[in-house]
Amino acid sequence: MKNLDSQDSVIVEGIQLSRRHFLAMLAGGVALGALGNPLSALAQAAAANGGVLRVAAQANPSSLDPATGGSGSDHVFLYPIFDTLVEWDYATLQPKPGLAKSWEFKDPRTLVLTLEQGVKFHDGTPFDAEAVKFNLDRSRTDVRSNIRTDLASVESVEVTGPYEVVLHLKAPDAALPLILSDRAGMMVSPKALKEMGERHDRNPVGTGAMKFVSWADGAKIVCTRNPDYWKPERYAVAGIEFTIITDPATRLRSLMSGQSDLAYHLGGRQLPLIERAKGLQVYTDSTIYCFQLYLNYSRGPLQDVRVRQALNYAIDRQAYVQAVLAGAGEPAYMNLPKSHWAYDPEVAKLYPYDPDKAKALLKEAGYGNGVKLDMRGYNDQATIQAEEVLLAQFAKVGIGGRFTNGTIPEMSAAYFARGEGDLILSAWTGRPDPSMAYGLMYSKNAYFNAGRVAPPEGFDEALAESRATDDLAVRKQALAKVQRLVMEHALVVPLAFRMDIVAAASYVQGYRNNLLGKPKFEGVSLKKA
Amino acid sequence: MNRKAKMLYRRLLQAVPIMILATFVVFSLMQLLPGDIAVTLAGENASEERIAEIRELYGLNQPFLVQYGSWLWHAIQGDLGSSLLTGEAVAETVSRTFPTTLFVVVYAIVLSVLIGVPLGILAASRPGSPKDSFIMSVASLGVAVPNFWLGMILVLLLSLTLNLFPATGFVSPTEDFAGAIWYATLPALALSTGGIAEVARQLRGSLVEIHHSQHVRTLHAKGLSPAKILWKHGLKNVSVNLLTVVSLLFTKILAATVVVEAVFAIPGMGSAVVNAVLEGDFPLVQGAVLAMVVTVIVVNLTTDMLYTVLDPRID
Amino acid sequence: MSSNTLTLAPGHEPVYLRILGWMRRDLRGTASLLVLLAMVAAAVLAPWIAPYAPADQDLANTLAPPSAEHWLGTDDLGRDVFSRLVHGASMSIYAAFLAVGIGLLVGVPFGLLAGFLGGWVDEVISRCIDALLSFPAIVLAVAVTGAMGIGLTNAMIAVGLVFAPQLARLVRARTLVVRRELYVDAARCFGASTGRILVRHVLPNAIQPVIVQATLLLAVALLAEASLSFLGLGIQPPDVSWGAMLARAYLYMEIAPEQMYAPGLMIMITALAFNALGESLRVALDPTMKSR
Repeated sequence: MKNLDSQDSVIVEGIQLSRRHFLAMLAGGVALGALGNPLSALAQAAAANGGVLRVAAQANPSSLDPATGGSGSDHVFLYPIFDTLVEWDYATLQPKPGLAKSWEFKDPRTLVLTLEQGVKFHDGTPFDAEAVKFNLDRSRTDVRSNIRTDLASVESVEVTGPYEVVLHLKAPDAALPLILSDRAGMMVSPKALKEMGERHDRNPVGTGAMKFVSWADGAKIVCTRNPDYWKPERYAVAGIEFTIITDPATRLRSLMSGQSDLAYHLGGRQLPLIERAKGLQVYTDSTIYCFQLYLNYSRGPLQDVRVRQALNYAIDRQAYVQAVLAGAGEPAYMNLPKSHWAYDPEVAKLYPYDPDKAKALLKEAGYGNGVKLDMRGYNDQATIQAEEVLLAQFAKVGIGGRFTNGTIPEMSAAYFARGEGDLILSAWTGRPDPSMAYGLMYSKNAYFNAGRVAPPEGFDEALAESRATDDLAVRKQALAKVQRLVMEHALVVPLAFRMDIVAAASYVQGYRNNLLGKPKFEGVSLKKA
Repeated sequence: MNRKAKMLYRRLLQAVPIMILATFVVFSLMQLLPGDIAVTLAGENASEERIAEIRELYGLNQPFLVQYGSWLWHAIQGDLGSSLLTGEAVAETVSRTFPTTLFVVVYAIVLSVLIGVPLGILAASRPGSPKDSFIMSVASLGVAVPNFWLGMILVLLLSLTLNLFPATGFVSPTEDFAGAIWYATLPALALSTGGIAEVARQLRGSLVEIHHSQHVRTLHAKGLSPAKILWKHGLKNVSVNLLTVVSLLFTKILAATVVVEAVFAIPGMGSAVVNAVLEGDFPLVQGAVLAMVVTVIVVNLTTDMLYTVLDPRID
Repeated sequence: MSSNTLTLAPGHEPVYLRILGWMRRDLRGTASLLVLLAMVAAAVLAPWIAPYAPADQDLANTLAPPSAEHWLGTDDLGRDVFSRLVHGASMSIYAAFLAVGIGLLVGVPFGLLAGFLGGWVDEVISRCIDALLSFPAIVLAVAVTGAMGIGLTNAMIAVGLVFAPQLARLVRARTLVVRRELYVDAARCFGASTGRILVRHVLPNAIQPVIVQATLLLAVALLAEASLSFLGLGIQPPDVSWGAMLARAYLYMEIAPEQMYAPGLMIMITALAFNALGESLRVALDPTMKSR
């Protein structure tokens, strides 16, 4: 009930403005053409007035508790409310200090975290080593936790001082620091968790710059500035108000007509519009979010590596990016984009667009007269458009068949859990550490390995090697080996990396995209130009 | 009065099996949905073990009738449960989103009547004239136009080009009535074309009928002015007909909001319920369907009550 | 108005003369019939009429304005809009007839049974009809489509199932009237079975309002196809329908608004024709309209 009240008060400000304008219009008999102005005036007034950043957000979160949620689109809401133990560099995703001001592997199985002091949770309780242990133990063991696998390598957590925690590991795991930059590193108030239990999903309490105010499903999430934030200079806005609008065109429209200050995850086809619109700025950067065809190589024609390679040669990725993403994407030849620290240019050269080679490989595999595949996808227009482009490209080399589409829960269950269909057009939302991604997609019993086929020889060893040290140069080499094995055996057909397209009103300053493609609003301020 | 109270009582009693039946139908359909909400709940870190565990955790592996029975048992006690996906209490979701949807629906009905009635009267004033056929042709267009397409065109013209109305969003009428009207105008307009057409048609029809009726002809012969005749003898008939149209419009427009809400990003129940159906979030679907059924029943009951007020012959 | 009646009972004039006569008297009905016939012709002859294959892409020439090569321009993947419109006709019309066909197939028998048998059968069927009509049709349609799997045929079966209770209610009401008629009693006296009485005597006499309603529902089905395709539950590639074209055009609403005009207009014109035909049939078939 408290939540509702405070939400109302936020809305009231905006509404009174609009009423004033509306009444002015009615009473003043303003010429119709002039009515356009009150809208943008309204936007600027609201921005200058409250200093609250109004974000047009892409999806309703699955939960606002970092451990019990599961959707990749939740992070945008979680970052302002929760600080993470480790953070990442916006451009390369290399780890950097967060709530843990430093970390060190005493040996490959012992990770020591040294914590910031003087940090408080929103409920006033102090953040310390006990709180970290509580959080990590909960995420590792609670049945409601969706991130137990992330922390599977942790044997035990030991408090060695008021601000020092030691993680004892079952096996070397150099991926841990970056894992602690994700959900597993988001620190929740132990007191709040103990008092609220499941209700914490909808009433999150962290240490972040923003305090949670209210969440109305599918409509709005409201946060207000945390006056006691430990790094006060980091967030310059008085609050963040997320309006949930799932359709990208509608998101942009809400920005253009002044109902929002910033909209993210826009599509490439909207770029010309954003550029044409006055008073908008746009940020376009590559992310690790990868559109790809997941293959089930336990069944049908895709058991043959040559057919899988033919698929990779058959796709003109440049044309795909142009047609489907309106040019706002990076062609994907492996699971990592160019700017990532572990990118290997040699692996990226394996599959240039070569329809003749594709035909030859199919012929070699005994499909000289063509091959039919049972393909799956989702039922939104953007996916359908991508399917149409793929079908046309496949048809050129003799790959035929149809896409069967369904909702995401339906198709994911059918393809990944029940092993139906030869391939699915979907995306990999990305993980901070690449070794997490490879393990989750290609290990023998990985859920996203629909055929549950063992990976090629040497894969598991190389993956383990990549986790054995936190020396980035060594890790990079091991990950290149992993990636080469995946691509040589054509276990996947990467298509394109999504560019994160964020548009904002001109008075929004200091926004930056990050490579993870999950916007953070650090450093953002609202200033009249 | 006693008889009326009895009728009301009987009608309310009849509503109970309808409500149970309706929720049962939807519940059974949702059991047939191939999607698995446990997969969604497991999220990005899904694994087979995790999915099985979640099924256990949420009671999704129980037999169908046990799940329905448990839902019904709680519902009778006033507990509609909470969304499987987000944990928000269903009662809260419904009480937040349904008024939004209802506001747009009622607004659309008001527009239908406000625009449809003058059109109908105008057309009936000279049946068979070019004016009449023009109005009736426009009315037939109103029924044939896809609502959401009209919505798209309205956004394009009145919002993005002329900047007269907001393209998206909603403002609560209890907070700011003028603002709410301003925001809901385009969606309501897109929803009302069919209503305008039907109101105009029905009204024209009944007015023409009155004109032709023996009774009115006699009055006419006696030298009463047409306006007076219409006022005294036509109005009851007309209002009964109009009432029927409006009550039928209610369900139609309620259904049409689902798509129109999507076009205008209105956080109403229509879009919420469609998403919930597709995601397999059955507590939310059940709650929403229940709310809709109750509303439709209440609307029908009210209509019946009004009939008896308007026309004492109906009982 | 009495001259406007098209009697189904055998008369003295030859059939074609009677139809010709009706066409002369009811211009609106004739016009709508002609529009619908043209649509059907386009649907059947699509491969010959359309200058391009509906799925032929030209990624170098997307969202092009109308020209000599592409009469209505090209879409987001450089496909010829006119060709897609022509091919879409067959799918859209198929969708409409499928939905109404299913509605009749399911609704009519239940309505007949309820009206003719009465008693507890009527009670059960009527309560089910009430329940199904008591919440918005699209929720039911979405649930049924979801349950059967996304796709045009399934979506239209779902819409048909939504129509069924409406039609059943209508048939039931007519049957209640018809079953009291003399010829039904007569047939019963001669020992005809219930099934035979229903099919031979009740159905033909109860069907007229159903024909009218079914024609009007064709328009509703057409609009429902568009809505469901818009929600992503309808037609899947590479097939094309007007609803699917609209759904795609929505993605390009601001950049290329002209993309949404043609399919929307086609839906509107066809729905208009179905409605007008339904109204004409109502007048032509309804004996009570004679008095006006």
